[in-house]
Amino acid sequence: MSGPPPAIAVRSLSKNFGRFPAVRDISFDVGREEIVGFLGPNGAGKTTTIKMITGLLKITSGTVWIDGLDSREHPAAIKRKLGYMSQKFSLYPLLTALENIEFFGGISGLAPAQVRRQAARLQEEVSPVILRQKVQDIPPGIRQKVALFVCLLPGPEIILLDEPTSGVDPEARRRFWGEIYGLKTGGKTLLVSTHNLDEAEYCDRILIIHNGVIVAEGEPGELLRIRKQATIEDLFQAAIRDHGQD
Amino acid sequence: MVRLERVSKSFAGIRAVDDVSLHIQRSAITILTGADGAGKSTLFKMLVGLVKKDSGAILLNGKDIGGDYSLITSVCGYMPERFSLYTDLSVEENLDFFAAVQRVPARRREDLKKRLLERTGMEPFRRRRAGALSGGMKQKLALSTILLSSPELIILDEPTTGVDPLSRIEFFAIIEELKREGRTIVMSTPYLDEAEKGDNIVMVKDGRVLRQDSIARLREAFPARLFRILPRGNVFEVMRGIAADPELAGRTHMRGRHIHYLQDGPANLGLRIPHREMVEEKPTLEDMYIYYERHP
Repeated sequence: MSGPPPAIAVRSLSKNFGRFPAVRDISFDVGREEIVGFLGPNGAGKTTTIKMITGLLKITSGTVWIDGLDSREHPAAIKRKLGYMSQKFSLYPLLTALENIEFFGGISGLAPAQVRRQAARLQEEVSPVILRQKVQDIPPGIRQKVALFVCLLPGPEIILLDEPTSGVDPEARRRFWGEIYGLKTGGKTLLVSTHNLDEAEYCDRILIIHNGVIVAEGEPGELLRIRKQATIEDLFQAAIRDHGQD
Repeated sequence: MVRLERVSKSFAGIRAVDDVSLHIQRSAITILTGADGAGKSTLFKMLVGLVKKDSGAILLNGKDIGGDYSLITSVCGYMPERFSLYTDLSVEENLDFFAAVQRVPARRREDLKKRLLERTGMEPFRRRRAGALSGGMKQKLALSTILLSSPELIILDEPTTGVDPLSRIEFFAIIEELKREGRTIVMSTPYLDEAEKGDNIVMVKDGRVLRQDSIARLREAFPARLFRILPRGNVFEVMRGIAADPELAGRTHMRGRHIHYLQDGPANLGLRIPHREMVEEKPTLEDMYIYYERHP
C-alpha cells in the first residue's frame, strides 16, 4: 500500500510568457514536514513556479498536486492548505504592523478575538512600540517577521516563502531560520526560495533552477559529495555552468 | 581621500550615527557592513549632503568641507539604496537622460554610452525597458548612470542587496576594475562574505563603528580562535541546548549545518557540544562581526 501523497507534487510543469518559456517541463516533490530550498539566479523561474503552485499564475502545461488534490480541480480546498509569503512581503506600508495583522486576519475569516489573541503572541517577541509603527518605518528583519506571522494566521499546512530573507541582516536571517525549523517540527511543510546560499544548508533538500529547468536536486551534503564541490556556492556555480554547456 | 571625524546624527532623539570616524582611502575599496538600521545609509547621505550632520567634520583631501557639499558631489557619483532609474524608459534612454542631467558633453555621450554598455554586458538589452530588467541588470544600469560623469569617488549604498549570487560576483568584478583604474569606492553591504573583499572594512552596529581595518589585520588582532563544529544531531536542536548554557551561548553561532565556536579564554568550551567533528579554521568576517557585536 502506498503512503500519503507528497505535500506538493509538481509534474511536467511549464509556463510561457508569450513566446518566452519561463519554466520548462519541471517535476519535483516536496515531502510532508520537509524544508525544501529553491535556489537559482534572478529570472531563473523560482517565483513563476511558486506562483503556479499557489494558483496565482495560470499553468501553461503540466500539473500541480497539493496534498493529493489537483490544483486546477480543487482551488478552494488548496487555498486553505497553503500559506504564501511573496517576495516583497505584501504588507500595507502605510498601515501599522498591528493594523496589517487585523486586516489580514479579517480577510482570512478569523474572528477579531482570535486575531487579537494571535497578535498578543507576536507582542511577546516584538516590542509593541514597533508593532504600532507604520510598516514602511520598521526594520526589514521585523517586517519579515510580521509578514511571516500574517502568512501563518490562517494556520496553513504548507508554506511557500519567496525570498523571505532578501535584504535582511545575517543575525535576523539566523533567527528566521530558527523559526522555519520550529514550523517544520510543528508539522508544517516548507518550500523556501533564497539567494543566500549559506541558508541552503538549513534545508532537508534543495532544488537549483536555471533558465526554467531544474539543474540539481537533492540533500545538500549529498549533492556536495556527488558533485565533488566544497561549498554550496561552488555547487551552485558548477550546476549552472554545466547546464549552460549542455 | 575623504575623512569623517567624529560625525554624529540623531533622528527624534535616536542616535543613528554616533561619533563615527573613518578614512576612505584613495584608489581603494572601503566597505561598510552591518545590520539593518546600523547607520550605513545615513552615513552615506551625510557624505553627499542629503542629510545634515549634527556634529563632526568631513574632510576632502585634508580640508574640512564645512557646509559646502558641492566639493564632494562634484567629484562623486552616488548610487542610493533604491536605484533611481526611470522604469518606463529604456536602458539607453536612461543613460541619455542621466548624461543630460550630469551635463556630459554631447560629443562624448555616444562613446561613453557604448563603453559602459560593453563593460556591463548590457549592450544586447539597450532597448529594453528598465522596469523589465532583472535585479542584477538594474543594478548594472544604475551603476552605469553614475559612471557617466567619470567620478573619482563612487558611493554605492547596498548595490547588491537582493541580487542573485552570480550577478553579485559579476558586479564586484566591475567594482574591482574601477579600482584598478584609480577610482575610490565606498560601498555598503549586508553580505559579510562580500565585505571581506574590501581593502578597508568598516563594521557598523547601532550607529557606531565596531572595528575597521583590512581583513588580514582584523584577523591578526582578533582575540579568539574559531572552531567549526559538526554537531551530533540536528543543528537547530543542539543550538537550543546551547542557549541554556550562557558561557557557550555568547560564543557560538550557527553556520549552515555547523556551529562556529569562538574560544576567547584558555579552555575550549566547544568540547561541551556533542559533536562528530571539530576543526580549527581561520575566522571569517562574519565570525568576527558576531564576536564584536556581542563583545564590543
